[in-house]
Amino acid sequence: MFLTRSEYDRGVNTFSPEGRLFQVEYAIEAIKLGSTAIGISTSEGVVLAVEKRITSPLMEPTTIEKIVEVDKHIGCAVSGLMADSRTMIDRARIECQNHWFVYNENMSVESCAQAVSNLAIQFGDSDDDGAAMSRPFGVAILFAGIDEKGPQLYHMDPSGTFVQFDAKAIGSGSEGAQQSLQEVYHRSMTLAEATTSALTILKQVMEEKLNSSNVEVMTMTPDNFFHMFAKEQVEEVISKIS
Amino acid sequence: MTSILCPEIPKPGFSFDNCQRNATLESKGFAVPKATKTGTTIVGIIYKDGVILGADTRATEDTTVADKNCEKIHFLAPNMYCCGAGTAADTEMTTQMISSKLELHRLFTNRVVRVCTANQMLKQYLFGYQGYIGAALILGGVDSTGPHLYSIYPHGSTDKLPYTTMGSGSLAAMAIFESRWKPDLTEEEGIQLIRDAIAAGIFNDLGSGSNVDVCVIRKGSVDYKRTYDEANKKGVRQASYRYPRGTTKVLDTKVFTVEETVHQLETESMDTA
Amino acid sequence: MSLSMEGIRPHYPDYSNAPMQRHFSPYADNGGSVVAIAGDDFVVIGADTRLSAGFSIYTRDQNKLFPLSKTTVLGCAGCWCDTLTLTRILTSRMQMYQQEHNKTMSTVACAQMLSTMLYYKRFFPYYISNVLVGLDNEGKGCVYSYDPIGHCEKATYKAGGSAGALLQPLLDNQIGLKNMEIIGDSKLTIEKATNIIKDVFISAAERDIYTGDSVIINIITKEGIKDDKFELRKD
Repeated sequence: MFLTRSEYDRGVNTFSPEGRLFQVEYAIEAIKLGSTAIGISTSEGVVLAVEKRITSPLMEPTTIEKIVEVDKHIGCAVSGLMADSRTMIDRARIECQNHWFVYNENMSVESCAQAVSNLAIQFGDSDDDGAAMSRPFGVAILFAGIDEKGPQLYHMDPSGTFVQFDAKAIGSGSEGAQQSLQEVYHRSMTLAEATTSALTILKQVMEEKLNSSNVEVMTMTPDNFFHMFAKEQVEEVISKIS
Repeated sequence: MTSILCPEIPKPGFSFDNCQRNATLESKGFAVPKATKTGTTIVGIIYKDGVILGADTRATEDTTVADKNCEKIHFLAPNMYCCGAGTAADTEMTTQMISSKLELHRLFTNRVVRVCTANQMLKQYLFGYQGYIGAALILGGVDSTGPHLYSIYPHGSTDKLPYTTMGSGSLAAMAIFESRWKPDLTEEEGIQLIRDAIAAGIFNDLGSGSNVDVCVIRKGSVDYKRTYDEANKKGVRQASYRYPRGTTKVLDTKVFTVEETVHQLETESMDTA
Repeated sequence: MSLSMEGIRPHYPDYSNAPMQRHFSPYADNGGSVVAIAGDDFVVIGADTRLSAGFSIYTRDQNKLFPLSKTTVLGCAGCWCDTLTLTRILTSRMQMYQQEHNKTMSTVACAQMLSTMLYYKRFFPYYISNVLVGLDNEGKGCVYSYDPIGHCEKATYKAGGSAGALLQPLLDNQIGLKNMEIIGDSKLTIEKATNIIKDVFISAAERDIYTGDSVIINIITKEGIKDDKFELRKD
């Protein structure tokens, strides 16, 4: 794709003669530098697993947060520029709270993704709302949640496009991981199976050796909603796969 | 000299004893009780043989109906009646007071009292109170000089007219008169016109309602038709709201026995001396 | 006749040094009453059809019930122009929700939204007594009543509007079965609820000058909304 690189990759609002927005495409490329995150949706719930890159032994691994709670019933995993992801998560949280405040009900996962997507495409020239963002967000997000339709998994990229998935991988190892997900996924998967599969695949694509401090696991179930795995729980799953 | 048989006659007129106290209470935030107003339609016409008066029968307190069938056509003298609108107490007391004065006047002069006399007494009385007596009246009657119809306003001004309306429903009623009144109506036509005028007030003015009262005054005779027309029928209930015996809780019962004692009195012989 | 006695003091502007006062009265009271009763799998709401101001009647045939969805109806009494605005905004919000979230707004969500919409105008309120009824997510009948600035109360029966204070005690006794020793075990049926609403309006028309002409009744079940009409006295 870089062969057609030209003057058209400067402005975020300028299409190339072939009809492409290079800045957006570059932003999507930026995700491929990020840490890998995997999400699998089953009938029992959704599981999210991400790798944490511990670049220095002096680093405190628990301060890297790649899976966060948006509302009781929605969680998300991010890959890409972490700073950008904060802005988007903030918006997701605000939209969920506002929906609860106005309608006294939980926001659906799709609506939450839609709301964040509205923020993601606000790059470009400033309009009536005031100053606009100068570039697209360099983040991909996996939304895992429970709503009246049951467990749901949504993926969103920097262009603001969001699609529902049964299983999805994002980040540097996404290509290989997505291939593996297609092989292991089946409709009648249990949540426990999905959790082991997610970590097995993560283990395959990670450069470092998988352990309980360089991975985060979360499950979203109709009974317990957002549940972050404690260190011991992660170790238990890891012990099963090796 | 005051006794049970001869009580001290109170001073005539209004008592202003509590005015200062009430003003003080009001300034300290005491809510002044509201007087009952008769949001009203009252009408009167002159027809071939005399005068016909009409009134609705609703009395209101703000937006609630206080009386569903009140009387607004008041007796003044055997040849005179008077419809009242405004503050209910004022219309009643004013007409009663003038009525007794007219009776005294009749005894004094030994003549059937003329309608213009009643009009003059009413307007002078109301003018004296500068509108504070909230009575708006339609006075009608027949005397030696023929039929007469007056409308009297709370401040004391009066009009002598062949047909008139007053009260909150006066516009609705006047619309009927303006289109259909003509001189020398028959009694039947006159009563129908009065009914229709009052009905216009009942249906189109929220301050007026319920039934139509009519009073026909001819030379030497009066025909007071109370509830001439029941303009509105009350709706028929769908269900029964009777409570079975024992629905209300008896909290406590106490029984008192009354002791009866009979005293025999000695008979006393009649004094025949 | 409203020739009032209170506060008559002559005022001569040319001879007065008192500051000139101007006031703005943007509200009208157009009267009307709303009564709603909820049952296990239905809810009935009725509103009279008289629209009035002061001592005049604007119309004898004004529907004050607004169906917002297949299971939600709003009844409004008070300032009619505010009702028109509020209900138009509500219908557009219902449509926007449908399009944004790909589902119809539930009665419970609508009840909360109405509350926030009213409170949003806390210092320039919509002068309306609102009664919102519908079936909840379990299909049970429910009634929500509001004050003009957004206080929301869930109930099983409610009378609102100009005759609200007159009718509520009657409902407390007949539906709430208050202050009674012997209480029959008769279950509340659609027919019974409808009859009580009709009877209660007959009584309201007797004593409240702003209630009369006729009642429009909406019966909401999972099958949909059914209409009924009943004549009242017209004076």
